[in-house]
Amino acid sequence: MIANLIDGPLWYFSLAVFSLGVLWQLVSIIFASRKPDLSVARGAAGPAALKTVFSRFLPHREIRPQVGIQYIAGYLFHLGLFALLFFAAPHVVFLEENLLGFGWTTMPHWAFIVSAQAAFFGLIILWLRRMVNPVSRLISTTDDHVAAILTFVVMLTGCLALLEGFEALRLLHRFTVELWLIYFPFSALMHTFTFIPSRAFTGAWFGRRGVDA
Amino acid sequence: MSEKLEKGLEVLRSEVDSKVHSFFSSCVNCGICAEACLFYTETQDPRYTPIYKTEPLRKLWRNEYSLGGKIRSMLGLSKPLTEADFADWEELVYDGCSMCGRCSMVCPVGVDISGMIFKVKHAMSKAGFSPEGLVGATQRAVDIGSPMGITMKAVMATIKHAEENTGLKIPMDVEGADYMALLSSNEIALYPEYIESLAKIFDHAGVSWTLSSDAYEATNSGLQIGNKTIAGQLVERVVAGAEKLGVKNVISPECGHAYTALRWEGPNFIGRAYPFKVVHIMELLDELLAAGRIKTTGMESEKLTFHDPCSIVRRGGINAQPRNLLNQISDNFVEMADHGNMNWCCGGGGGVSSNERAEELKLTAFNKKKSQIEATGAEAVVTACSNCRMVMEEGVETNEMEVELLGLTEMIAEHLEPRAAS
Amino acid sequence: MRFKTLLLLLCLLLPQFALADGPPKKPNYPEGVSSISPGSELWGAVRQRDGVLLDGVSQVRGVDAGILINEQGYRWARFRVSELTLYSAWALAGVLVLIFLIYVIRGKVGIEGGLSGNMVRRFSDYERIVHWVLAIVFLFLALSGLILLLGRPLLIPLFGKEVFSLMASASKEGHNLVGPLFLVSLLMMIFSFVRRNIYEKGDLTWLLKGGGFIGKDHVSGGFFNMGEKTWYWMVILIGLVISVSGLILVMPIFGQGRIIMEIAHVIHVIGALALIVVSIGHMYMGSIGTEGTLEGMKTGYVDINWADAHHDRWGRECHEKDLIVSAEEYARLVGKPSVDEADGRETT
Repeated sequence: MIANLIDGPLWYFSLAVFSLGVLWQLVSIIFASRKPDLSVARGAAGPAALKTVFSRFLPHREIRPQVGIQYIAGYLFHLGLFALLFFAAPHVVFLEENLLGFGWTTMPHWAFIVSAQAAFFGLIILWLRRMVNPVSRLISTTDDHVAAILTFVVMLTGCLALLEGFEALRLLHRFTVELWLIYFPFSALMHTFTFIPSRAFTGAWFGRRGVDA
Repeated sequence: MSEKLEKGLEVLRSEVDSKVHSFFSSCVNCGICAEACLFYTETQDPRYTPIYKTEPLRKLWRNEYSLGGKIRSMLGLSKPLTEADFADWEELVYDGCSMCGRCSMVCPVGVDISGMIFKVKHAMSKAGFSPEGLVGATQRAVDIGSPMGITMKAVMATIKHAEENTGLKIPMDVEGADYMALLSSNEIALYPEYIESLAKIFDHAGVSWTLSSDAYEATNSGLQIGNKTIAGQLVERVVAGAEKLGVKNVISPECGHAYTALRWEGPNFIGRAYPFKVVHIMELLDELLAAGRIKTTGMESEKLTFHDPCSIVRRGGINAQPRNLLNQISDNFVEMADHGNMNWCCGGGGGVSSNERAEELKLTAFNKKKSQIEATGAEAVVTACSNCRMVMEEGVETNEMEVELLGLTEMIAEHLEPRAAS
Repeated sequence: MRFKTLLLLLCLLLPQFALADGPPKKPNYPEGVSSISPGSELWGAVRQRDGVLLDGVSQVRGVDAGILINEQGYRWARFRVSELTLYSAWALAGVLVLIFLIYVIRGKVGIEGGLSGNMVRRFSDYERIVHWVLAIVFLFLALSGLILLLGRPLLIPLFGKEVFSLMASASKEGHNLVGPLFLVSLLMMIFSFVRRNIYEKGDLTWLLKGGGFIGKDHVSGGFFNMGEKTWYWMVILIGLVISVSGLILVMPIFGQGRIIMEIAHVIHVIGALALIVVSIGHMYMGSIGTEGTLEGMKTGYVDINWADAHHDRWGRECHEKDLIVSAEEYARLVGKPSVDEADGRETT
């Protein structure tokens, strides 16, 4: 019975909450008020906005010593996670059968293992840093912790079900994924999409002033 | 709910726009902004983390605008803002932030944190949560015309001295001049050599310029306190003065926030574009140098370094010009390790230097600039903002450092090639 | 260091126990017509009855394809199921009882004069991250490893076969994936703490005086006392042994035969158990066993009285270099929100 719920209505519900929630958030950004800037621009805002969307992927030389751990652990986690999400064989097969109708080349098994290890290690280090560093301990909210832990649980249940031989483990993983999808639009996980307009706005602001940000 | 709180919330709500939505949706509280902020690095106090300073606005956004927050508010689960949210954050926002913008440069998800802090300042200033020193300065700016209380009479006296020292006539209220020069109270009071330098340079370069008796003050206390309405009023005076004389350009002096107020935020404060161009004195001097209208002679012998005023370089876009000018008169110029757009604030910008309550914190923050200067081994620090200069002089004296503070415009004036008497 | 090497070598000798039985004797046939089957010699060799490993020739290509029946493997399996799991369970139960008794009898080790509230920095953010990442990874591996080791005798009776097979599969996948992360965390730990763990003068005295654990005698210690240093070297050295044997086990693609895998397995389990048993003591001493210790790993700061009581040579340095931070300053540095924030920060 639970299996039917997880494979059926709960799956569709979580997909709906996720897509509608994300859409709502992005729409409110696009259609919210934005006053035009009446000052005379020194540089072009558009190209600067686009540039900054990409340039912020690397830290400025001046702060690298202080933020090295966060960027390294951050990339281990994010790149590992993306590799898992989009190129792990079980996921591609799932997407092909349940959503898209087409698939693509998947990672070899060893690459899957390495990606998973990178993702786990990066996330553990990041979350520990959040707990250990006085700045992040002060400014972190329950949302930040729930987002990190929920993502970790999703990854962990996936890893535990790796043999793909036990229904209960597969269902546990799918269930945590559905919880994650429902939580997503109401949380800091939205940065997945909103970092693009965020970087673009700031890039444009600095770009008008002729500053390479 | 008290009147103050109501006003504060009203202004905060008016500040929520598209940017606020994307910024607060994206911030994951990583704390990298703290590493860029000198108030944090020199005190190690996590409360000075830049994004923490935006908390009143962020709390409001979470409660009333975010998806999760709206649902929680409906269910009665959210905590509304109280006066404490404003009162407790006053010190963080006014004493512990110089609006230098370094945090906005480093945020991995691109949040313009100092922009958000300015929005909070707007609400705080309108609701009456601002430090006494700034409130007084703003009052004087509105009533007398200068935050330091310098009247036109005092300006005229300074001009007279300048004319005597240079032997040049300083034009006043000349209609149709190409350039209308503004002054900052700091320059009039502490560095009147700036006025003499302008006279000498413009005479040398043959620039048609004037001062205005209606609009001599560039400093904008409204911007410093965060009150956009008063900031607009003060900008309007400059615009009215420039329009009255029908000048083509207005020169923003060696003052950081004045450039931000006039060049970048001004048109938005008053709701219209200007019929003239705004140019910073550094920009103008660089243009004149490039056009061959300024000819210099001699080189400074001592080892120099340059402090980048935040509002002019990082937030103003004038990065190359001071360097061109400095290289013209010095072959012993060393850059600080963190220079240009990523240089560190002097600690006194954004109204901090007008805020007596922030004195001790400002001096602690200066330790960053101190370590930068000492690392270069420079004998003198050149800058292009009189506020930075004053703040750094105080810091240098407190720390008993053997370093001179110099203004770039003055240095150019000192190195002008003498022209045959016309 | 020599003691550790000795222990290591001893561990390498342990697999011999699997062969403790020795080859069975040949039956005594009466004189007269020999009725020994001509095949019995062959089968004797196949069953490795005289202890010689028969590596035959087979058309099947692969490692160990020439071994028809792995007699040693049978002995290993028996050893694993009986002695290994039994002694492991006893060791674990024993240490838990020991810790319980220590807590009941000795109680929490306090500080003379109590805590002062004035703190001194002991561990940086990075050092604490390294410790906790190793701890988390270790705990996960310990739990999943113990499920795999003790599952059959302990967990099947409790949960039944279906549930246990689920747990075992999950544990195996988790254990294999997280295992290499232990090696990475271990390397991080080696580099961040090695300098302060070199044995020095005063360590032997500390050991001979029982670390000040029994009785109220004050014992001098450096940044790390001898007990802590020994635990560190156990973690590093046994940890490396576990990691290497673990890698041999998890990547059977380099031509390892069954014998190597069996030896690696036994080394892996014994090493892991040694660490698990001592780690229980470490976790006890680091938390409820000693007053003021956990703060060091939680916030990075310890009370100066704690430093003076347990690590006086380091404590003296802190006094001399004036590194002590007042209670007020400490609250500011660790980011306690300002007093007036009665409402606290908004959480989503």
